[in-house]
Amino acid sequence: MRRSLAVIGAIALLSGASSLAEAQTNTVTLGAAVQLTGALANTGRYYRDAYQMTIDRINQAGGITVGGKKYTLALKLLDNQSDLNLGVRQYVQLITSDKVNFLLGPFSSNDALNDSSIAEKYEIPMVQGGGASSQIYSRGYKYIFGTLPAAEDYFASTIDMLSKVNPKPQTVALIAADDAFDVSVAKGTREIFKKAGLKVVVDEQYRENSGDFSSILTKIKAAQPDAVFWSGHEPEALNFIRQAKSLNVSPKYVSSFTVGVPTADFRKALGKDAEYAFGMTSWLPDASLKDKWFGDAAAFAKAYKEKFGYDPDYHAASAAADVETFAYAIEKAGTLDPKKVRDAIAAVDFTSLYAHVKYGKNGQIVLPQIVIQIQNGNVLPIYTDKFINQPKYPVPSWDSRN
Amino acid sequence: MVFAQTIANGILLGGLYGLMALGMALVWGVLNIVNLAHGAFIMLGGYAVYYLFTLGGIDPFAALPIAMVAMFAFGYLLQRFVLNLIVRSALLNTLLITFGLDVVLTYLAQLSFSADFRTINPSYAGSNVALLGITIPLARLAAFAVAIGLAAAVWWLLNRVPLGRAIRATSQNLVAARLYGVDPRNLYAITFGIGTALAGAAGGLYGVIAQVTPYIGATLTAKSFVISIIGGLSNPFNVVLAGLVVGLAEAFASFYLGSTYADVVSFGLLVLVLVLRPAKTLRAA
Repeated sequence: MRRSLAVIGAIALLSGASSLAEAQTNTVTLGAAVQLTGALANTGRYYRDAYQMTIDRINQAGGITVGGKKYTLALKLLDNQSDLNLGVRQYVQLITSDKVNFLLGPFSSNDALNDSSIAEKYEIPMVQGGGASSQIYSRGYKYIFGTLPAAEDYFASTIDMLSKVNPKPQTVALIAADDAFDVSVAKGTREIFKKAGLKVVVDEQYRENSGDFSSILTKIKAAQPDAVFWSGHEPEALNFIRQAKSLNVSPKYVSSFTVGVPTADFRKALGKDAEYAFGMTSWLPDASLKDKWFGDAAAFAKAYKEKFGYDPDYHAASAAADVETFAYAIEKAGTLDPKKVRDAIAAVDFTSLYAHVKYGKNGQIVLPQIVIQIQNGNVLPIYTDKFINQPKYPVPSWDSRN
Repeated sequence: MVFAQTIANGILLGGLYGLMALGMALVWGVLNIVNLAHGAFIMLGGYAVYYLFTLGGIDPFAALPIAMVAMFAFGYLLQRFVLNLIVRSALLNTLLITFGLDVVLTYLAQLSFSADFRTINPSYAGSNVALLGITIPLARLAAFAVAIGLAAAVWWLLNRVPLGRAIRATSQNLVAARLYGVDPRNLYAITFGIGTALAGAAGGLYGVIAQVTPYIGATLTAKSFVISIIGGLSNPFNVVLAGLVVGLAEAFASFYLGSTYADVVSFGLLVLVLVLRPAKTLRAA
């Protein structure tokens, strides 16, 4: 009993001492719970690496100046193990026990949707770059901001492009998963279909993390749509494409996927089968995107690849923009007070390696998706509101490719 | 045509399901170990075949026997020196230790292989055969054939070979078997090794059809569990048959009700079977 009292006393003294020590150094801590392990770890790593690299780069350049004092940025990262509930508890821990100053987001709309409620409850601003669903921003929350454009509009550029090609698709199939992101995509896409006068012949929802698409593919084969619009996450996109090939199911003209196509990993896993696939990205490593700390997007991509050994995609760029948002906003606010920083974030307007960052009224950035296509193993930007490169269209069916 | 295609989809999927469950049913029936790490073994088998294919250039179907031998050795050693400690204790202990094993194997895999998806993509992976208006993916057909073949091999082992007789004798009456000179430690380890080898084969085939990540284990353990119960733990052909039943049920549920209902149907089948013939399916634990 006496020994445990002594232990408790020692621990209390040590924690008191360490918090005293922290008060001496000028640090602004950004906290986040990201998928470092578990089913979504493959995308979670972009956030871990981009957050750290951007923070290191900002610190190298002298950190940030708040009210005349110099501060360095620090990252407190927890692993939510791709577990939604654990992530929520970890954000509570970051705020109440680790006492971070501000919050960065997780990957995936489901997680961002739930974790942002914690930010709102404790009134600590969160800038997230992993969730695109409008559900995140439609609750009247004031403390959540995001750098991924609205899920509802993901297919807008693609459908716009398809109204300008020959032959024009008339019938479409929509396949979407049942998580927050894909439900939003499906909802928005149906509206766009209606406006564009496209007939939906297959409209299927599948369970997230399900492996088998045989039934859905059989339905597509029977309905023979001109175009297939598919929404989900990377592992499922892989499954869908491979199974479509093995069941010899192809739409008449084209397939488009909300994820996977911009990522090097995806193309490596599919090899030749990735060819002709259409996708979208809100970011390409283009030197015309200038940045205060990295120079431009191409330099960012090069530095990222050198440091971590794999190419960044829009997830990483979005994460970098989140950190930069805080750097700009905290300096502008001149204080670490959460409410004032929150107001400063709502008013930021800066260019970054990701895009021109400016948040809409509801906290979500407005950016068009760039339509891309895999041609000869490379990702080519095809269309934003006009054609950048020639698309390979119509896409040959599986049995005519070999 | 669509109906026939759905049947074909279900049968082909079911064959692989049956193979996955075969190893778990064998181990459960003989050693009374409910192996919660079974999915992790499938995952390891998938990685073994993946690396044999990408680094060694060995065709996945040719790599299957190699992976099976490696997995057999792994399973034998695991049973002999780790699981043997709890083989005759309460069922809860086997659940705990295999659950812990599952967690350890999954995270070791993540650390060693990273969370990247691995697909085993031989040149024929996407080929198919068109038969009477339905499309049959070659890879799935081959997986189905391998599953049936392995089930037949297990049946032949259990019923026609002295080792198999020893295995069955030990599971029926341990004392009597020992009186006949059976060394249970060695026998249990061999049986567990066979179960692990079967899981490894299923994993290799799974990698050709879907993809391998460190996390595929959990869902596959659950599926194998359901099929083992539905098929019973005694006859390997019954397990494969149960796999076919579940595969067909899922295919039809996905097609007519929506893919969200596939799991509802397979677990619903499990509940139905437990309600209708509990005595036959649940051996005295």
